[in-house]
Amino acid sequence: MIRSNAENLIRKSMARFVDNELVPKAQEIDEKGEFPRELFEQLGRMGVFGIRYPKAKGGSGGNCVLFCTVCEELARGLMSLAAISAMQSLMGTNFLFRFGSEEIKEKYFHPAMRGEKVACFCLTEPEAGSDLGNASTLAVRTENGFLINGMKTWVTNGPVADFYTVLCQTNPEKKFKGLNFFLVPADTPGLSRGKPFDLLGTRNTKICEIAFKDCFVPLDHMLGGEGQGMTNLLSILAEIRTMTAALAIGLQRAALGDCIRYAHERAQFGKTIANYQLIQAKIANMAVDLEASRLLTYKAARMVDDNIPCLTEASMAKYFATEAACRAADQATRIFGAYGYSMEYSPQRYYRDNRFLLYGGGTHEILQTNIAKWAGL
Amino acid sequence: MDIVVLIKQVPDSSEVKLDPKTGHLLREGIGAIMNPDDRHALEAAVRLKEAHGGRIVVLSMGPAQAIDVVSEAIGMGADEAVLLSDSAFAGADTWATSSTLGKAIEKIGKYDLIICGRQAIDGDTAQIGPQVAEYLGLPQVTYVFDIEAVTDGTVVVKKRLEDGYEKVQCDLPALLTVIAEVNRTRYPAIGNLIDACGEQAPITIWNAADIGVMTCDVGLAGSLTHVIRTFAPKGGRQTQMLEGDTGTVVRTLLEKLRENHLVLTDSGVLSAECREGKLS
Repeated sequence: MIRSNAENLIRKSMARFVDNELVPKAQEIDEKGEFPRELFEQLGRMGVFGIRYPKAKGGSGGNCVLFCTVCEELARGLMSLAAISAMQSLMGTNFLFRFGSEEIKEKYFHPAMRGEKVACFCLTEPEAGSDLGNASTLAVRTENGFLINGMKTWVTNGPVADFYTVLCQTNPEKKFKGLNFFLVPADTPGLSRGKPFDLLGTRNTKICEIAFKDCFVPLDHMLGGEGQGMTNLLSILAEIRTMTAALAIGLQRAALGDCIRYAHERAQFGKTIANYQLIQAKIANMAVDLEASRLLTYKAARMVDDNIPCLTEASMAKYFATEAACRAADQATRIFGAYGYSMEYSPQRYYRDNRFLLYGGGTHEILQTNIAKWAGL
Repeated sequence: MDIVVLIKQVPDSSEVKLDPKTGHLLREGIGAIMNPDDRHALEAAVRLKEAHGGRIVVLSMGPAQAIDVVSEAIGMGADEAVLLSDSAFAGADTWATSSTLGKAIEKIGKYDLIICGRQAIDGDTAQIGPQVAEYLGLPQVTYVFDIEAVTDGTVVVKKRLEDGYEKVQCDLPALLTVIAEVNRTRYPAIGNLIDACGEQAPITIWNAADIGVMTCDVGLAGSLTHVIRTFAPKGGRQTQMLEGDTGTVVRTLLEKLRENHLVLTDSGVLSAECREGKLS
């Protein structure tokens, strides 16, 4: 039986979307710095946000490989939109899908899949970034629910989200074993949003602090079994890191593509700079980095799909692909010469946007420490 | 309303180059896509289905890899797809193609409307739609840019003309060819694309025997025209910079245009007067 290959078909379809809707407008959208609501809704109608959820349960029926394929293509066009989509498809909705009641799914999960509601995920606190066991946002059990008090920071989609999945401590003495996730709707009394941060890159991804003061949520808003928060977070950590690596691949492809075009156009001393070996060496290094990133990332994605533990592989993929994206953006600013220093050309956007990838899903300092440990140190 | 949409897989470029020695298309590095006008035809069908209900069957003829465009059509909202794929269909001219498509449409059976793109970007003939209509004995409206209404067994459309448009009411069943102006196409739904790749996908492959045709009546053997040679026209522009003040430049330009039988019409649009092969 002849059938199309889903990965190729989806990549091609998303590439057409990216080439038509993002690439020509990316510079302008970035300059405006607004949440790209129209594009977000369009991706919802296309079923992009449901790609890693089963079709019978409101998703699009894909898997991690297809999710990474979509993330990669979107990041090639506009990193901030790709980051927003990744949040909506994975961290912002995953615990609602797995642990939410039917009522919660109907009210939040399904509209989020359709792009009608914006989801987000609150982990980091002013004093608890990599050290999540130190999280101090407290959820205190009452007769018929929980009262939440505390502060979250670096909340991606925070200023525009309709609901939040919030990591809270229910028993500070238990440290990691006292952590739990809670669904907190944006209209919950006592929830307030800080001013959006002024960011170096991914300027359409709105990020802020969220404060919770006596926010009441009903019992069924605790997502997952008591004390299972850290375990549940770890269950998607490999996928988060793999997805971040896919975003980095998208940025590398965008930078490499622009550099090759520019090298063919820009002439100096009577010939295009593509003829100079030092430019060729930079392009070669970027191409090798890209290929190595692909191999690491899609290996990890396939392991996620096959339910094989792969936190090591995913961490290596995230670490390598993101560092490679930083190198690619840096080289792009050199191949473009002084034009790479101008806000009119794309390298500056790649150079700024790649920094976003360094922190999400684990800082590289933490990743390197873990990789060294896994390597036997 | 049941609709058949004809689609074609074409090279992803309107400027394909030919091998100067063999005359064959140079396909290396060029992907394949759904013909752009056909994408608009499918979008028109999906909008009619959304408004009036019914089913959409997409029909395409091509090699096995054309499965990608029928899968994409399922992604955009077609209910079913038929791919005519048989080595006997290869090398068909527009007559053999349209009669083969016509046979397949007869087998599909029930339809109220057939919608096609105006023309494919590889052949640029714009003949398939009209020939399929003739083969099936259907009324046809070409160059449609607006489907206004479908009521009481008729369709009302606007047809683009060089200097305006015609509003046409046509009995159903009928065949329409549409131009890009007719709509803005949607992107396929990810879930539908995934379904289209599965074993249960509503995609059927038919060969010559499946549609009841003799292999001598289809493909190259069944074609009424035969390509003797394919070649790229000798191109090359000669740029001449006009010098002087504005008046001089305009006068010189007009003289040059007249010399080459390029005159300004009333509407101010340049048109070519071809006289005894002086312009080619």
